Amino acid sequence: MVCVYRFVFALFFILAYGRAPAHAQDLNLVVIGNGKGVPADMKLAQLKSTLKGEKLRWPDGSKVVIALLKTTTPIGQNTSKKIYNMSANELNKYWLALVFQGKADAPNFFNSEAELAEFVSQTSGAIGVVNQPTASNKTITIDGKRYL
Amino acid sequence: MKITSYSLTALLLLGLLLGAAPRAAAQRTQIRGFVDALAYYQNGRVNFGLGEQDLFITSEINERLSFLGETVFKFSLASPTDFSISVERIILKYNYAGNHSVLLGKHHTPINYWNDTYHHGRVFFPTIDRPLLFGLGIIPLHTTGVSLQGQNLGRLRFGYDAMVGNGIGSGDVVDNNPFKSVTLAMHVKPTDGLRLGVSLYHDNVSKGNAAHNHGSGIMPVALTRVSQDIMTASLFCTDSVFSKKVELLVESSMVNSNSDSLGVQRAVATYAYVGLRLTDKFIPYIRVDDVRFTNQEVYFVPNNTQSFIGGLRYELNYLAVVKLEYQRATSHTHAATDRVTFQIAVGF
Repeated sequence: MVCVYRFVFALFFILAYGRAPAHAQDLNLVVIGNGKGVPADMKLAQLKSTLKGEKLRWPDGSKVVIALLKTTTPIGQNTSKKIYNMSANELNKYWLALVFQGKADAPNFFNSEAELAEFVSQTSGAIGVVNQPTASNKTITIDGKRYL
Repeated sequence: MKITSYSLTALLLLGLLLGAAPRAAAQRTQIRGFVDALAYYQNGRVNFGLGEQDLFITSEINERLSFLGETVFKFSLASPTDFSISVERIILKYNYAGNHSVLLGKHHTPINYWNDTYHHGRVFFPTIDRPLLFGLGIIPLHTTGVSLQGQNLGRLRFGYDAMVGNGIGSGDVVDNNPFKSVTLAMHVKPTDGLRLGVSLYHDNVSKGNAAHNHGSGIMPVALTRVSQDIMTASLFCTDSVFSKKVELLVESSMVNSNSDSLGVQRAVATYAYVGLRLTDKFIPYIRVDDVRFTNQEVYFVPNNTQSFIGGLRYELNYLAVVKLEYQRATSHTHAATDRVTFQIAVGF
């Protein structure tokens, strides 16, 4: 009987421990930007508005280009929750609808942080969300903070 | 040679397009589509049917110029193959400053929320079909012309559309009379999930012109010159009430058709939709429609119609939605109809 209890306890521990990494909310988010157009510091409301496609141009006139990790990735899911306040499904629907209405260009979605960082570094006005600062791009502070 | 204001506008747009050409290497083109299939029970029979197949193309020509095209393939008895191709939207958009753009082409007339938001994407529709306001041809669904558009301006996220087009009864390549249609629309989005909008549409329909915006296959001809004003108000709201997200959409259009012989005749079309998101995927909903005409209507077929819809929507994901819906419609000229419809709509 004791063995059964130990087995159940071990199983519970494994399941509980195994679930921990799936909590995308725990991941840090860092906003990176191309050297041209993207300001060095933004307010959170301004960031949210920009990443929702509500802003088409930066103050210097360059086009706002949004780069996101796919919503199938933990960072992409975390971005959906923390910045958009949406589920992954809601975020995909939001963008499909906005593009269909002709109100905004679709974001550029990536599978990995490295791909996203390279795109941002090579695209004027590009802004993206990753997990850690990258060497090739400037880190945008949000309300004075490097991490969201 | 006399240079008219239209020539100047055309030259300006041509210049903008040519200026865009050298940087066309950055072009990004996406092709998406929507399709739906349905089954319905009416008058003791079960019927199966195809909806529309909607192909949707967007292309970023350069940093400022973009293209949007929407083409629909749909069942049509008038076609030898039983299917017709309809170009619903072709829009060249030039973002000239900030959130301000100029658009040229065939648009869904930016009169109200539904017409300017859902277009032909059935997967986005909150109900199976459009409200009667659209199905009965109360508003001109499309306009070919040029417009100025602004969006998300200031704290209230103010937006506007100012459009001049060929107008009612015209085709997509030529105007049928000297009068241009004028559309002025504005909206605000003071908070996420709330949008309030109003619009005004004005056009003159010449005597003898077919009124192309009539639905149900009816193509009446204007028996006299009609000056038409359409005023529309709309409210879209989605918010949480007792932790459940409520969707509310109400729109009403009032059409004043003024003719020399009969003065002003008024038609009013309204619908209200309410949905309750019980879970992420499951949304029961209702919609009521009401369309009323005055007795001496000179422009529309004066068939006062009311409809009630109750349904269930199940969103498998953002690209696949299943709906089951009951509709009861009553009108002055037809017996009441009851219909149960099942639809699956997908995006691809």
